[in-house]
Amino acid sequence: MILFKNATLFDGKNFYDGTLDLLVRDGKIEMLGQNLSEPGAETLDLEGKVLSPGFVDLHCHMRDPGFEWREDIESAAAAAAAGGFSTVVAMPNTEPAVDHDALVRYVFEKGVRAGYSRILPAGAITKNREGKELAEMGKMASAGCVLFTDDGAPVGSSRLFRTALQYSQSLKVRIMEHPEETSLSRGGQVNEGRCSSIAGLKGIPASAEEIGVFRAISLSRETGVPVHLTHLSTRKSVSLVREAKREGLAVTCDVTPHHLHFSEESVIESGFDSRFKVNPPLRSCEDIESLWEALADGTVDAIATDHAPWHMDEKDLPFPEAPFGIASIECAFPAVFTCWQKRGKPFGLERLLSLFTSGPASVLPGEWSSTGSLTRLGKADLVVLDMNLERKVAVEEWKSKARLSPWDGLSLWGWPVLTMVEGRVVFDRFRR
Amino acid sequence: MEWKHRHVLDLKDWKKEDILFLLDQAKNMDDLIDRPIKKVPALRGKLVVNLFFEASTRTRVSFELAEKLLSADVVNWSASGSSVSKGETLRDTAWTLEAMGADAVVVRHGASGAAHYLARKLKRAVVFNGGDGAYSHPTQALLDAYTAWKSFPNLEGRKMAILGDVLHSRVARSDIQVFKTLGCEIVLSGPETLMPFDVKSLGVAYEPDPEKAVKNADIVYLLRIQRERQEEGLFPSLDEYHLRFGADEKLVSKAKEGALVMHPGPINRRVEIASSIADGAQSRILQQVRSGVAVRMALLYLCLGGVMA
Repeated sequence: MILFKNATLFDGKNFYDGTLDLLVRDGKIEMLGQNLSEPGAETLDLEGKVLSPGFVDLHCHMRDPGFEWREDIESAAAAAAAGGFSTVVAMPNTEPAVDHDALVRYVFEKGVRAGYSRILPAGAITKNREGKELAEMGKMASAGCVLFTDDGAPVGSSRLFRTALQYSQSLKVRIMEHPEETSLSRGGQVNEGRCSSIAGLKGIPASAEEIGVFRAISLSRETGVPVHLTHLSTRKSVSLVREAKREGLAVTCDVTPHHLHFSEESVIESGFDSRFKVNPPLRSCEDIESLWEALADGTVDAIATDHAPWHMDEKDLPFPEAPFGIASIECAFPAVFTCWQKRGKPFGLERLLSLFTSGPASVLPGEWSSTGSLTRLGKADLVVLDMNLERKVAVEEWKSKARLSPWDGLSLWGWPVLTMVEGRVVFDRFRR
Repeated sequence: MEWKHRHVLDLKDWKKEDILFLLDQAKNMDDLIDRPIKKVPALRGKLVVNLFFEASTRTRVSFELAEKLLSADVVNWSASGSSVSKGETLRDTAWTLEAMGADAVVVRHGASGAAHYLARKLKRAVVFNGGDGAYSHPTQALLDAYTAWKSFPNLEGRKMAILGDVLHSRVARSDIQVFKTLGCEIVLSGPETLMPFDVKSLGVAYEPDPEKAVKNADIVYLLRIQRERQEEGLFPSLDEYHLRFGADEKLVSKAKEGALVMHPGPINRRVEIASSIADGAQSRILQQVRSGVAVRMALLYLCLGGVMA
């Protein structure tokens, strides 16, 4: 039993006026109100802090099974908890790929045993993510899979993508597409533009992503099945989604903290430091502006980390030899919050918080769609945020196994200080 | 003047005065090469490792000669392929070299940014970039500047046309940095498919018609055309390349009278350059080779804090 006192309360969409108290009992939010008292409950004074639904991450690479030296479900879950996330979707590009129900259960149950953030499995769309035959989506949905994706790569063929959309419709589990036309991006290292031109590294053109976005929207329109587009990074990508939404299509999308924070200039200025190597690549400054506009106007539904940890020995290589991927889950919110502040708060804090809470949750099926909101008698998935806390990112202290991150050493504000999942405290910097 | 460049990785932070100072120093070295006894003890007791991950003859030999003329101890460390395929990472190689007591490492590597990477990993040794991927080849650019400077002591306002495969060329990227800083106007030409996507970001213009690009140029700089680019389908044939963009008498005649023709070598005769041009009076190709030794001596001397006897 925990009683939070004097919290600035965010319900997933809006702030309550003034400050409120909130009582958690038996994993649920039992009471919300003023001047609550409960003998026997531990009391935490949240004066000056924000109490929000725990964050939801739609896109996290946990590298488990198969690549546990990079990350495993336990380390990823602990890292997620430290980042303020109470629910995280694990990507299926593992070895073996999560392409059948037994592995869906493995991921879910390992997450439960780890006892940190709730880990929800995503399943592959195709067997072994080969883009050839549909995986057993029905069995995976029954086993608790919350998204289908061949992430790391786009769905192999447009025909198969269309079939997968149709087949998954009745399962009510959304397809998440990594939009990329690989014939255009193959061999690419950095954004096609200033960075490729200056660096002499092969470029990944914006069109490679935009063709993928266009394809997904077309197929969603034609089949009438919702689709979610992940890690959008270009101006035209978000404008395609904006138009699709205007048209009334069930198209949702997310962007990542790194695409909101860093541009291709970071790649150039760092002397081609592989910490900045990611797919889709860090784009132009104009693209970043468009992503922030798309956050403001509701085009973007969620901020998803695409946390992609690598072992130091694999990642610390000259740029073209290093793999793609940025580890971020432990500093994702402070990174975005700090940018938002430095940009002069271009929209309300409630909008920013909704992109980490109700926004991503709304993409998830069934009961999980409400995880990003805070309601009486709802699950006590909570995060306490100290907006004024400034800390330097120190990867050597991370719970994630990743030891390289572009944020390492940067000062950020807005740190989670306590994370709760169904009433269990899974991260606590508050009381220590 | 105080020398403030610890490593020579690229030339983006070099100011005009740095370049001119270096050219002056190179001139001194050049004079030295003409002496009956060329060798000076400036870098006696310094260990220089030439670390070449890519085949290179002229750059490696030129560096080696420069190192030897300055009396450095020279070790050639050749490694093939990427650090991944070789089984030892560049990080481990860097630490190994430092453990052996290297004072300087000259590195040639296929990855853009490899010289920066090495410099980040080395605590003590000075890094000279002998060419990394398609990003930078600073010593080549400085020797090109030196060669041009000997003919045109003031390069301000001169026009330079760079023709060929700019997309894959570290030479072009570094030459653009140096010649722009020296005040030259630079125009690129060649097939669109061999141009960087965003030429503007290099601060230069692109002119698809080579005759227009070369018009009134003081320097015509030709880049080597790699056979693989044709195999990749970036242009249809070497013959067509020569017809459209090769430097022959007709094309060079559009340049200013007395314009310099330069090429980093090795040249492909009858591809990017006709023999009549390569071997003609305007060609500075062999002078560039000689300049290379002098410029590299000057760089080694300045960065390793040598003592002139």
